[in-house]
Amino acid sequence: MIDYFERLSRDVRVKEGLKACMNCGICTAICPAAEFFPYNPKEICNILQTKDNKKIEALLKNETIWYCGQCMSCKARCPRENVPGMLISALRKLSQETGLFVESSKGRQQYAISKTIAESILKSGYCVHAENVKPELHPEQGTVWNWYYNNLEEIADRLGANYKKHGPGSLRLIGKKNLDEINAIFEVTGGKKFLETIHSYSTKKAQEMNLEIDDSLNSPYFIKTYTEDSDQ
Amino acid sequence: MERKFWKNYQKDIPDNNYYYERSCIRQSFFPGSETTFLRIVGDVLGKQIEDDQNLHTCTGIGYHADVVPFETTQTIIARLFSLMSEKGYRNFVPSCVTSFGLLNEVVETWKHFPEELQQTRDFLKQATGREFEIPEYITHPCDIIYKFRKELKEKMRFQIVNQKTGEPLRVVEHIGCHYSKVFPQAVIGSAEFPQVLAGMVEEWGGQVIDYPERRHCCGFGFRHYLIMANRGYSIANSRKKFESMEPYHPDFIVTNCPGCTMFLDRWQYTIKEMEGKTYDKQGNGIPVLTYEEMTGLLLGFNPWDLGLQLHQISAEPLLDKIGIPYDKEQKYLGKSGKIIDFKGF
Amino acid sequence: MEKIIYTDIAVIGAGPTGIVAAYNLARLGYKVSLFEKEESLGGNILKTYKLFPNFQSSNELLQLFGEMIVVNNLSLQTGVTVTNIRKDNNHWISTTNKGETIVSKAVLMATGFKPFDAHYKEEYGYGIYNGVITSLEFEKMLKCGEIYGSNGITPEKIAILNCVGSRDAKVGNNYCSRVCCINAVKFGIEIKEILPKAEVYCFYMDLRMTGQFYEELYRKSQQEYGVNYIRGKISEASQTADNRIQLKAEDTLLRLPIKMTVDLLILMIGIEASESTKELSAQTGIMGEYGFAKSHSLLKADNHTIHPGLFIAGTCKRPFTYPETVADARAAVVEIQHYLENKT
Ligand code: SF4
Ligand code: SF4
Ligand code: SF4
Repeated sequence: MIDYFERLSRDVRVKEGLKACMNCGICTAICPAAEFFPYNPKEICNILQTKDNKKIEALLKNETIWYCGQCMSCKARCPRENVPGMLISALRKLSQETGLFVESSKGRQQYAISKTIAESILKSGYCVHAENVKPELHPEQGTVWNWYYNNLEEIADRLGANYKKHGPGSLRLIGKKNLDEINAIFEVTGGKKFLETIHSYSTKKAQEMNLEIDDSLNSPYFIKTYTEDSDQ
Repeated sequence: MERKFWKNYQKDIPDNNYYYERSCIRQSFFPGSETTFLRIVGDVLGKQIEDDQNLHTCTGIGYHADVVPFETTQTIIARLFSLMSEKGYRNFVPSCVTSFGLLNEVVETWKHFPEELQQTRDFLKQATGREFEIPEYITHPCDIIYKFRKELKEKMRFQIVNQKTGEPLRVVEHIGCHYSKVFPQAVIGSAEFPQVLAGMVEEWGGQVIDYPERRHCCGFGFRHYLIMANRGYSIANSRKKFESMEPYHPDFIVTNCPGCTMFLDRWQYTIKEMEGKTYDKQGNGIPVLTYEEMTGLLLGFNPWDLGLQLHQISAEPLLDKIGIPYDKEQKYLGKSGKIIDFKGF
Repeated sequence: MEKIIYTDIAVIGAGPTGIVAAYNLARLGYKVSLFEKEESLGGNILKTYKLFPNFQSSNELLQLFGEMIVVNNLSLQTGVTVTNIRKDNNHWISTTNKGETIVSKAVLMATGFKPFDAHYKEEYGYGIYNGVITSLEFEKMLKCGEIYGSNGITPEKIAILNCVGSRDAKVGNNYCSRVCCINAVKFGIEIKEILPKAEVYCFYMDLRMTGQFYEELYRKSQQEYGVNYIRGKISEASQTADNRIQLKAEDTLLRLPIKMTVDLLILMIGIEASESTKELSAQTGIMGEYGFAKSHSLLKADNHTIHPGLFIAGTCKRPFTYPETVADARAAVVEIQHYLENKT
C-alpha cells in the first residue's frame, strides 16, 4: 500500500496547513460545506494527524473530500493555524494522482471539470470564458444572460470589451505566444501529466461503468459526471 | 455598523502606476465593470494603469477546482509577474478576488518555503526562458477606489441617498471570501469587519447594514458551481444570506468579487423562478452592483456604459431611488448602434 | 527635590501577591516599601465580586488586605508607579514616576497580570455589539446585582465562552489561563441564582477542573442549577435584526454545527502579562515567553531571577489562581529571607 501520509506530508499545503488540531470546532462552525453536506473540516485534520494510512485511503476514495467549497473561511479563524481547506487541496491532488477519485461520484466530477476549465485554460488562456457558459447548461443564468450570450460580441464590445480580437481589453483573443507559454508551463510543471492522469483513470472507470467517453463534452460519461448528483 | 478596532489594520496602497490583471469571470459576466475601473483610475483620477493584452488566467478557478497542480499555478503566476516586470511595474492589481487571494498565498508560500520559489523560477525558465520579480504590492482594485474615495466624492454627481426622502440608502456590502479570509492582514479593516466597501458606502452617503450572515460565503464553492449537479450548495448559501438580510430591507448589494456579484444576482432570479420568492417588497429583487458600477453611477457615468443591462435583477428601481437619469432606449443598444431585441429571451 | 528611600525590600505591586509577601516580610522584621500604581490596593481582585470555588466575597478579602498592611516596618504608597529598576553594586535602585529613588537590598516584582483585551477577537464583536461583554464586565453586573442583555432587559438566554484570548495562536497566546474554566462554572451558578429561569450555555474546549472542589462545583452547576455545557468554541457572534446575539459553533460531541441566538454573551477573557510586568522584565532582561517574567529555574528557584536580589512572584510569572498566587508570595518570602541573611 502506498504510504499516503508520507506523500501528503511532502505537499507544501500540508506543511502549511496541518499543525495540530485541538478539536475546537471553530472551523466546522462556519464552514459552508459542513452546513450543507455530511462534512466536517476538523475531522479532516483529525484523520491526517492520526497518520492512519487506512483512514487516509478511505478519505481519498469517498465523497467527503469533495464537499469543501474552498472558501477558506477556516483559514481566518483556526486558533491552531491549521487550514483544513488547504489539506483538502492536497488530498484531492493525491486522490487524483492515485486514481482513487473515480471511486466516488463527487470525485468522478473531476473529469468534467478538467474537460471544461482546464481545457479552456490551455486553449484560450481563460479559466472561464463567456462563450462557454451555455444557457442550456446554465438555466440559472436567466433571461438576460440568454440575451447577452446570443449577442456576445455586440454587447460586450458596447461595454468596452474587445471580444476575441487582438489587442487589450475584456474577452480579447489571448495571443499565440502566450498560449504556447501557458502550455509549456503545464508541460514542464506536471500540469499536463496531471490532466492525462485524470483522463486515463476516468476512461477506465467509464469502461467499467459501460459508458462511452470521448474527447467531447457530449459523451455519456461527461454528461453523467457533469449532471449526476450523488446526494439528491 | 460601529467600528472601533479596524483602524489598526490599515495597509499600504500604492498611489500610482498600476499593472492591471483582468479577471476571467469579471470579463465574461460584467465586462463593463473593468472598463469602468480603467476609466475611473485613468480618466477621473489621472493615474497610470497598464492594461496588458498578454495577460491571462492565473488558473485560480482551476486550482481551487483541483484540476491544476499548485506547482503549475505558481509558475503561471510567475509568468504574470514576469510580464509585469517586463513592463517595468511593481504594483500588481488583479481584478479578481480569487486571484488576489491566490497571488498573496503564493507569495507567502515563497516566503516560508524558498525551495518552492526556486522551483518556480526553474520551471518558468525552463518552460519559457523567463525570469520574474515578485511585485512590491499586490493590491485589489477595490483598495484603490477605497484609497481615493474622498477625491472621488468631490467629483461625484450623486450620493447613495434616496432623492425623495433624503435618507441614506441601506446597503449590504458583501466581501469575497478570498479577499478577506485568505490573508486577513492584506485586508483593509481585518477579516471580520472589512472596511473597504463599507468605507466607500459610508463616505458616499449610504448606510451599511450589518446582518447576521454578513461574513458568510456566497456559495460559489468552485466545483460546486462548475458542476451542474452540485449547484444546490451554491444556491443554499446565497439563500441563507438573502434570508438574513431581508429584514433590513436593503436597497442594494455591493460586492468586490466577480463571482459573488454574479451569484447574488442570479440566485435571486433562480429562487424567484423556483418559488416565486423575492427578497424585497416590490418583487423586483435586490439589485447587486459591483463596486466599479457603484462608483461609476455616482460619478454620473451612463448606466448602460457601466453594463447594468447585464444584471438579471433590474437596477432601474435603484437608479430611480437615487435619481440617476437613464435612457430606456439605450439599454439594449449593441456596439453597432442598433437595438438588440430582448424579446424572446 | 529628589527623594531617596532606603529600605530592605522594595515590593512592586499591591495585589494579593505583593500584599501577602510584604506583610510576611515585615513580620520577619524587614523594612518593606510596597508600591502600587493604582490609587487602591488589591489589584485585579478589585474587579471581582466573589471568588471561586467557595464564593468568598472579594470585599472581605480587600478588607483583610487593608488590615494586613498596617503592620510595623511596612510602608505602602499607592498611586506610584515604579518605572525603572537596576542593580548598583550590592543594591537595587528603583525609580518611580513621582521622582523618588528607592535603594533596597532586594526587589520583589509582584506586578501581576492584565486581562486580555477582547477587542482583538473581532469575530465576537466585542465593543461593537451590545450584549457581548467580558467576564470582568459581568463581575460588575454581579456587584450591582443586575444582569441585563443586549436589549437592556433581563436576559432569557446567556452564553459563556471559555478561552477568549487563551489557547489561541491567532492572538499569540498559546497558553491556558488556568482561572477562567472554574470562573465560568462559578458564573453559571451565580446567573442561575439571580435568574433561575435563564438558560445558560457554557461553550468550552476542555473544562480544566484542576483545583480542590472545582469538579464538585462543575457537577453541582449541572445537577442543581441546570447549566448546559457545550463542547465547542464559538466561531463568531453577530447581531440579529432584533438586537440579539447570534452564535455559531460546533457541538463537537455531536459533530454538528449549531446556531444559537442569545441575549448575552460573556467572554471569559484570559490572563496576559501586565504592562508593568513587561516593562520591568524587559529592562532587567528577565522577560520570558508572552511577556511574563521568567524565573531562574522552574523547579529549583522559581522566585529567583537570573539577578541575585531580584525576585518575582505571582501572576507576573504566569497565570495563577488566587490560592496559588498567595502561596507563591509566601514562597518568595522564604527565598528573600535566605538571600538577605546570607548576603547581609
Ligand atoms: S475552505 Fe472548505 S473546509 Fe474551509 S471553511 Fe471553506 S468549505 Fe469549509
Ligand atoms: S479550527 Fe483548527 S483547531 Fe479548531 S477544530 Fe478546526 S482545525 Fe482543529
Ligand atoms: S482555564 Fe479553561 S477557559 Fe481558561 S484558558 Fe484554560 S481551558 Fe480556557
